[in-house]
Amino acid sequence: MKRYDLITPEGTKDLLFEDCAMRRSLEEKLSAIFKSKGYCEIVTPGLEFFDVFNLNSRYFPQESMYKLVDNKGRLLVVRPDSTMPIARVAATRLRDAELPLRLFYRQNVYRNKPVMRGRSDEIHQMGIELIGSDSKRADLEVLSSAIEVLSSLESDNFRFELGDIGFFRELVNKLDTDISTKEEIRSLIEVKNYPALNDLLDSIGDNEITNALKQLPRLFGGEEVLDKAAQLYNDEKINKIISDLRGIYNCLTQLGYNGKITIDLGIVNKLDYYTGVVMKGYLQGYGDAVLSGGRYNKLLAEFGYDVPATGFAVNVDAVAKVMKQSHTYSAPVADVIVYGEDGFVMEAIKYANKLRSDGLIVENSVFASYDETKAYAENKKIKKAVYVGKNISEENI
Amino acid sequence: MENEKRPLRIALTKGRLEKDTVALLEKIGYDCTAVREKGRKLILPVGDSIEVVLAKAADVITYVEHGVCDMGVVGKDTIMEMNGKFFELVDLGFGRCKFALAGKKGDNFYQGYNIKTIATKYPNVSRTFFEKKGMDVDIVKIEGSVELAPLLSLSDAIVDIVETGTTLKENGLEVFEDIAPISARLIVNMVSLKLRQQEIESLIKLIEENL
Repeated sequence: MKRYDLITPEGTKDLLFEDCAMRRSLEEKLSAIFKSKGYCEIVTPGLEFFDVFNLNSRYFPQESMYKLVDNKGRLLVVRPDSTMPIARVAATRLRDAELPLRLFYRQNVYRNKPVMRGRSDEIHQMGIELIGSDSKRADLEVLSSAIEVLSSLESDNFRFELGDIGFFRELVNKLDTDISTKEEIRSLIEVKNYPALNDLLDSIGDNEITNALKQLPRLFGGEEVLDKAAQLYNDEKINKIISDLRGIYNCLTQLGYNGKITIDLGIVNKLDYYTGVVMKGYLQGYGDAVLSGGRYNKLLAEFGYDVPATGFAVNVDAVAKVMKQSHTYSAPVADVIVYGEDGFVMEAIKYANKLRSDGLIVENSVFASYDETKAYAENKKIKKAVYVGKNISEENI
Repeated sequence: MENEKRPLRIALTKGRLEKDTVALLEKIGYDCTAVREKGRKLILPVGDSIEVVLAKAADVITYVEHGVCDMGVVGKDTIMEMNGKFFELVDLGFGRCKFALAGKKGDNFYQGYNIKTIATKYPNVSRTFFEKKGMDVDIVKIEGSVELAPLLSLSDAIVDIVETGTTLKENGLEVFEDIAPISARLIVNMVSLKLRQQEIESLIKLIEENL
């Protein structure tokens, strides 16, 4: 029988010392930002019912979820996303709470990814959700918080991108074609596959809408993108989406991150609980977005509580990977090791405690001799050893 | 960080696509001497602003997906088999061939109620193709000459790349059905396109003008 007792499952890893210290320090940094804005932390269970992630707009591909069965035969999943469970909590236990709700979380999500592609199945995420307001003020709060998070991580090397899923939805819904073709158009826009998108749209027809959709994946960059978008199609709803986005963009540029805030109207995620403004954040040195989010006004209604919401999540592991290239985090090493001679062990423990109360990190020696203690201290780079016997003496290692 | 100043890194699929891409880059005006006289080196400078990395097709996708290469040239066949998250910006037009379902000449593949066995180097492409038809098939992954499988009666048919069809013909096989056209694609990492938009867009413009 082959035993798997010495390795961790595919897509998971142990986090030791420096890596752990780095994750915790990132957590503290982001928690401090979220808390200072009045967000309260919540924790949702690691296991949820499958149904939470499998209805209309909260669709998760079932092959991407880790599943198990509870003692009543019901299907459970290991949490693949935090926003949906939080929407569930907001729609149930927080239903009578004063709006808006400001919630934040730091927990793992689990997604079954193709093996051997070098990506983790277990992702440590932190994020915020602002529930109960559809106002531009709410959008600006969440967007500017996301920018603040990115700039607090890598002030020079981040990029923040803004879009509005409504632009694509309005256009594609005017097309006289079936849902699977619309989905194909969406996926081609998402991967900016210009040639295949052109072929597909040509086969549907040559009109203002197909021409606008052809341009959609190219609509990324600075404010000029919005000017181009405005010329593509003239329609009350679309004009409003563009002018709202322009308003938001102009507000955000007042934060002063010149050139770091850009627009991409081709952000059309598969995860389609988003209904309006969407965002992505990138750090130089990681090949995928490290932050993503947006407005999801219909999601809570699916849990029976019809309120609008917006939020974002940060992939903490991805950030840690980037930070490791430029920062060193070290796990703490003891300052002193205290050895107690036979008969003086309790004296040594008391002496060590006295040193700790002065703020030092102190190890109690578990070795039988002072020489072994010093050899160990040298290997571990502990700078000072203390001998406790009839006399107390210190020496630097 | 180092990334800020490093040249634009392009992963090329070793072999024919590499030669066609180098020809294209030379047509645009890049000096590709280093690639032509590469010896055993795997990372090679092209002009001052580009660095070429030579890799196997599937690895091109992996490198681009992770952002360690900004762009890549890879066949649509590998993209269809591997999937992955990247932008697929340009159909380069060279390396043209097709995916096809083929088998022994004269066989009627769809006849009968038995579950068909398919031999292929491309299990994902095969599975997707038959899924769309609502057909259950047994798929056998073969690494070398797939044409052998129907000849040795291991499979009822094969899913493979067909260029001229000569190999099929010489072995008494024929194409039953075309699955998808294939050509070389220029793929771009999702973050690189945003962080190095100007460099990448101007290179793509040059490429499109010279196709």
